[in-house]
Amino acid sequence: MSASNEINLNESKMVVPLNTWVLISSFKLAYNLLRRPDGTFNRHLAEFLDRRVPANVNPVGGVFSFDVLIDRATGLLSRVYRPAIGEEPQPNFFDLERPVTAEVVPVIIFFHGGSFAHSSANSAIYDHLCRILVGTCKAVVVSVNYRRAPENRYPCAYDDGWTALKWVNSRSWLKSRKDSKVHVYLAGDSSGGNIAHHVALRAVESGIDILGNILLNPMFGGQERTESEKRLDGKYFVTLRDRDWYWKAFLPDGTDRDHPACNPFGPKGRSLEGIQFPKSLVVVAGLDLIQDWQLAYVEGLKKADQEVKLLYMEQATIGFYLLPNNDHFHVVMDEISKFVSSDC
Amino acid sequence: MVLYDSATLAGSSSGSSSSSSSKPPPLQPEQRQDIDGHLAGAGYKVRSSELRKVAQRLERLETAMVNSPADLSQLASDTIHYNPSDLASWVDSLLSEFPLTPTCPAEFVTDPVTNQTVVNDAWTTTETNMLLVPQNVSYEQQNLNNQLTVVTAMEEDSGIRLVHMLMTCAECVQCGDFSLATSFLEDMQGLLTRVNTVCGIGKVAGHFIDALSRRIFQGIGGGSINGGSAYENEILYHHFYEACPYLKFAHFTANQAILEAFDGHDCVHVVDFNLMHGLQWPALIQALALRPGGPPLLRLTGIGPPSPDGRDSLREVGLRLAELARSVNVRFAFRGVAASRLEDVKPWMLQVNPKESVAVNSIMQLHRLLGSDPNRNAPIETVLNWIRSLNPKIMTVVEQEANHNQPGFLYRFTEALHYYSTMFDSLEACTVQPNKALAEIYIQREITNVVSCEGSARVERHEPLAKWRIRLTGAGFRPLHLGSNAYKQASMLLTLFSAEGYSVEENDGYLTLGWHSRPLIAASAWQAVSDAPSEFPVPDTHRLS
Repeated sequence: MSASNEINLNESKMVVPLNTWVLISSFKLAYNLLRRPDGTFNRHLAEFLDRRVPANVNPVGGVFSFDVLIDRATGLLSRVYRPAIGEEPQPNFFDLERPVTAEVVPVIIFFHGGSFAHSSANSAIYDHLCRILVGTCKAVVVSVNYRRAPENRYPCAYDDGWTALKWVNSRSWLKSRKDSKVHVYLAGDSSGGNIAHHVALRAVESGIDILGNILLNPMFGGQERTESEKRLDGKYFVTLRDRDWYWKAFLPDGTDRDHPACNPFGPKGRSLEGIQFPKSLVVVAGLDLIQDWQLAYVEGLKKADQEVKLLYMEQATIGFYLLPNNDHFHVVMDEISKFVSSDC
Repeated sequence: MVLYDSATLAGSSSGSSSSSSSKPPPLQPEQRQDIDGHLAGAGYKVRSSELRKVAQRLERLETAMVNSPADLSQLASDTIHYNPSDLASWVDSLLSEFPLTPTCPAEFVTDPVTNQTVVNDAWTTTETNMLLVPQNVSYEQQNLNNQLTVVTAMEEDSGIRLVHMLMTCAECVQCGDFSLATSFLEDMQGLLTRVNTVCGIGKVAGHFIDALSRRIFQGIGGGSINGGSAYENEILYHHFYEACPYLKFAHFTANQAILEAFDGHDCVHVVDFNLMHGLQWPALIQALALRPGGPPLLRLTGIGPPSPDGRDSLREVGLRLAELARSVNVRFAFRGVAASRLEDVKPWMLQVNPKESVAVNSIMQLHRLLGSDPNRNAPIETVLNWIRSLNPKIMTVVEQEANHNQPGFLYRFTEALHYYSTMFDSLEACTVQPNKALAEIYIQREITNVVSCEGSARVERHEPLAKWRIRLTGAGFRPLHLGSNAYKQASMLLTLFSAEGYSVEENDGYLTLGWHSRPLIAASAWQAVSDAPSEFPVPDTHRLS
């Protein structure tokens, strides 16, 4: 047992930089302590261990941020990231929601990852990522602090995403000059990618325009054990067992992984044929054990004649985008930037 | 002794800063301790040189956990975790929870990079101590977020609580966390209702709370405070003059120095950088009238803001002074120079005659010339230059003895809190109303400017005399010592006030007036050095000679 484990550890060390390995391994270690076998979650310890940063209205690296309470009833907070305007040292309270001035300003609604249970909008890794997105895409980013499992199961996260979307869409200060509309993109990594898909679905059904979906290592699954899951189980930081645990924590009691939330194009899913679904950019890491599900998702979109671009990063593991210290990161940021700017 | 730029110190927060005098510019904390920058961005402090070791320990921990799952759930539920940012020590503390048996394969780990066998040695605590970097502000912020009740059982005094809250709120503002700052503002308003706001900390705290609110909600552009009319400012100034001895001290001390400098000269010209009501000059005119050998011809050029309503207030003051001079037989000529900003004044406007002896008098004006933009030449340099070109017999400088021009907001805020608490304290000793109330408003405007303004709106850029010395000597001036006459004058002035707390001190040729042991106003005198200055000092050099 320990021998194969050592092999696994060594393998994963060969494909990521040392500091990335330390980071993701620390997460793995912490997460192992947080998931209880009975399906409950040590939330207090999770909050204690999570590294967080406050919002900062002082521009740092050309980006400033502030938190907004979007829905009082559920306590839904979001962190808004905006590009700093020129050389101004510190905006005042009313500058924060100053109308955007450019002809076209992409607004990216971002759903952080964490397998539906971990992290928050103000987690350091996600604050960092959102700031980079602002710079790369010249966008306003709204990072949604959605309710997490297992305390809040399906469909809470989707509901929160939907609430955030409605809020963003109705902000006059986010409207692009060109057409007086908010140019919305949905983005997310891991569970956040899953949320982005489902919020887009609801948007389409309600007539809100989404210009594009950006799914980074989106979290999908199913009852069946796929080839990639068997091949890569435990090899690169992630085990099937923990994947199962998170789905069990998120999906309604008594359902299985073919629930459409988990498996949108599976036996209980539905085709998107004839639906005006937004174009999608899907990033799949070649060393992610759930890649077969992610690739199936892409296939499902293609079969329904939806516009989708697949970015398959062969040597990438989960979390490669958390630290900007590898080529995959820069390739992906480039693609995201192109994806978002092609609507000008 | 070297004075560090406190803003840098606050940012670097190194617990072991030494005071060697030839230190290069301070490194970022990450650089100094070789902390991995990427992990720092993710909220973890790990030294780059320790990454490998941490990785090994993580591996060992994983192996140990895999081997004993029972221990794992105990580990999860019972262990108390500390300081997760310090990854190395966190991992070590978890490791220590697992009994290390001799058969545990993790004891001998092959370092995959060097292929050397690394023996498991007991980790020393010294390393982890070095990694316990004094938290930078954002981590403190996290702590604050986690423990929102700032009040501890020990803080019985609401006043102390108020001060702590003020500091914390200011820290939030510096970090840009407006939502937390606002909640502190609310708490403080609540606390204020339980504190005596008629005097002491409650009163000054109220002003600072207002200034912070202004900064957050109205921004740093100044707005209505700086836009107070010249007329209003004069009234407030006058009341401040009457209510406490600071301005009087400034005037008397400067006059004494000017009088001595003009000894033996028949044509003298005083340039006043801020005429106001000319309160300083009747005393000088009378002293000149009485000097042995008779009075000189006195010219006075008064600089002041233009009057908006068609009045020429400068001229009016000049006329009154002329009237006084005539009554004591002093030949007197007055000229007013209207300028909204001191830097707009050009030397030719002063019409200095090469034959006359010039005294330049600046009462709390020079600090307004200190620019906010480090990339542009501050107006102070231009002005000091042309003052030198006038070759004045004396330049009298009085400034607030305070460090209110540091770029770091929290530092400035703290300094101002202490300074103005002391000043308000001293005002308590004054019993004359309504002077006191309006004097307080005068002070309040200063506070508001220091706390809530930035950039060109922030004109109250007080610096301590130590800094002015460097600046002035660098600009080609040398100090003229204020003698015992000046000291005597100042002391006599104080006997007119029944308050016991005021103190005059002489230091190295200059005088300060303070409340108890804290100097609040510093007066000094200068003369232009005849040869050219060697070099302008870089503004950030803090070196006491």
